[in-house]
Amino acid sequence: MRIGQHRYTIDYGHLALITLIAAAVFWYLLDARSVSLSVNNLLLVQPVALFALAMYLFIIPQCFHRVDKETAKSPKEQDPLAPTIPSERSDIIRMASLGAALGLLVFLLDVIGFDIGIFLFTAAAMAVCGERRPLHLIGFSLAVTLVGVYGFRALIPFPMHTTIL
Amino acid sequence: MIDISAFQDALGIMFSSVGSWGWIVPGLIVGLVFSAIPGISITMAMAIVLPMSLYMDFFSAIVFLTSVYTGAGFGGSVPAILMNIPGSPSSFATTFDGYAMSKKGEHNEALGYALFASTICGIGGYLLLLLVVEPLADIVLRIGPVEMFAVALWGMLLLGSLGSTYISRGLLAAAFGILLGTIGMNTAGFTRGTMGIPVLLDGISPIPAMIGLLAAGQLLSLAGRDYIIEAEGSREVSVRRILKGCWGTLKFPGVLLRGSIIGIVIGAVPGVGSSIGNLIAYAETKRTAKDSATFGKGNPKGVVAAESAVASAEGGSMATMLALGIPGGGATAILIAAFMMHNIVPGPSFIETQKPMVYAIILNNIVQAIVLLAVGIGFIYVASNIVKVRTRYVLPAILVIATLGTYAVTGETAGPITLFVFALLGFALQRYQYPVAAVVVGILLGRMLETEFLRSYQLSGGNPLYIFERPGALAIIGVMLLSLGMTAWGKRKQNRAEAEEEAAMLRLQQEDAAGRAGSHATKT
Repeated sequence: MRIGQHRYTIDYGHLALITLIAAAVFWYLLDARSVSLSVNNLLLVQPVALFALAMYLFIIPQCFHRVDKETAKSPKEQDPLAPTIPSERSDIIRMASLGAALGLLVFLLDVIGFDIGIFLFTAAAMAVCGERRPLHLIGFSLAVTLVGVYGFRALIPFPMHTTIL
Repeated sequence: MIDISAFQDALGIMFSSVGSWGWIVPGLIVGLVFSAIPGISITMAMAIVLPMSLYMDFFSAIVFLTSVYTGAGFGGSVPAILMNIPGSPSSFATTFDGYAMSKKGEHNEALGYALFASTICGIGGYLLLLLVVEPLADIVLRIGPVEMFAVALWGMLLLGSLGSTYISRGLLAAAFGILLGTIGMNTAGFTRGTMGIPVLLDGISPIPAMIGLLAAGQLLSLAGRDYIIEAEGSREVSVRRILKGCWGTLKFPGVLLRGSIIGIVIGAVPGVGSSIGNLIAYAETKRTAKDSATFGKGNPKGVVAAESAVASAEGGSMATMLALGIPGGGATAILIAAFMMHNIVPGPSFIETQKPMVYAIILNNIVQAIVLLAVGIGFIYVASNIVKVRTRYVLPAILVIATLGTYAVTGETAGPITLFVFALLGFALQRYQYPVAAVVVGILLGRMLETEFLRSYQLSGGNPLYIFERPGALAIIGVMLLSLGMTAWGKRKQNRAEAEEEAAMLRLQQEDAAGRAGSHATKT
């Protein structure tokens, strides 16, 4: 994108994240105001929400990076404290797949049972992380399922819905 | 300085609950193992084991979790020394001289220095806490809702402004966390943000949210790696040389003392914590040392300074947590959650009414620091191999434990679902350099902030000038504004210095390239 003399790249992911947060904050503020306009209701929520929205406006420019400035930057030494989330396409697909597998696990626990859910999740997560040997996939998933289900069943007082175990 | 009768009662608690002592070694091992794996932080380790403490009695739960905390303080220094990779951010400064010593073949001595500095300063930090609890209790009892609100707000602002490279992102994270913490019914009876979901009437369950943000979110980011870290080959470990290093630590009492004081003070300030304390202690020791030129080239003083600050920061952050009920960061936020799980609220009333318990917790931490010496030496033998575990085995197992842990807390799938939602949020926040700890503490403190603010409002009758009748609150607000201003100024200065350094480097490179081109032209 070109603004004036300079070319800019837009970090759409960052923009989407802060817009999502700002939308949630705005909705929360409206919801709180719809409940009551009493000071006892809005005393903290309203100023904090407005502050968050102000911060959102302040952060928006950080999503736009000047291209010439980016290319002029000298390669820096790797900072061990900097966030180290991989940015390659294959890595992102792996992370998204693992996230999706976790989502399926938590939403299907009550439907397919903890035992089958944990087994399938462990096998899927191992496959996502690169395991291809069937014996390892089945053996380790089975071990995690048995330890998880029997271990937690002994530990917690709530019933755990299982299909087989 | 010490309430003798409460102290005797504390000894009674210690000896009558010997079973709780059994949790020290497992806790230390969990802390050591997790923090030795780069990418798995102290808070992540504590978040994962937190649900297990739900079914212990209160004292055992706190012993277990503080043992994890103590073990993790030292565990991060093992890969820092052996592989130049800080296991946790608080071990960053240890790499400067620790790894340099390792390259010279003095890794055993370096580990000895780190271990003994951790032990001595861990004990020192808690001994000081033991002495200040009594006067601290007198001070905190005079704190009213206005002061409490000001302190909590200060903590949130510091967490937000210091936890990230960008102050604005940190403050947005803190504000968002506070708002998430106020979802549900407030003390005045108003219900907001529940979307008609009955589970949300009591607010967002903090423990699954915390595990999601601190642990699961960061674990997802490891999926792209085959090994958590590509480690160097393991090095030979010698107990005799480790003990020689331990003994050598005593040659630097000044470094130990300075590191401890910096660690305690920085650890007590919410939002700062040991990750900055170790860098400041290292920098100060280097600045004042006669042999400052040898720092970064394997000077043991560098290792001692960094590790002493890390270990003593734990005592400092525990002081703030116990006295005010305000967590200094992710680890103490988890300890507060453990208190809450047992229906105990840390803060002024807890420190006054439960003084023997407070003393018992402190005494047990001193015992943990001593036990760490033995467990730590044993751990060094296996530590260099831990980092070689493949992610394909670690990730699924830890995610399953985390999911089942959240189910153990809530007893329904709302727990795992909360974990999942906050894991995604934590992942995204980490991706764009937002301080996840600020959101966590916001969720924990949101309700308290609102309650104290409401009380202050009711006490003052809505008159903002009431603040001038509360000199304590005024002083806190003054310090808060001053520290925020200094933080902003410091960051601006740092950014400018970095930019100048970059420009100078670029100039140097260009001059170098031009010089080479010139000499090439002369030759031809």
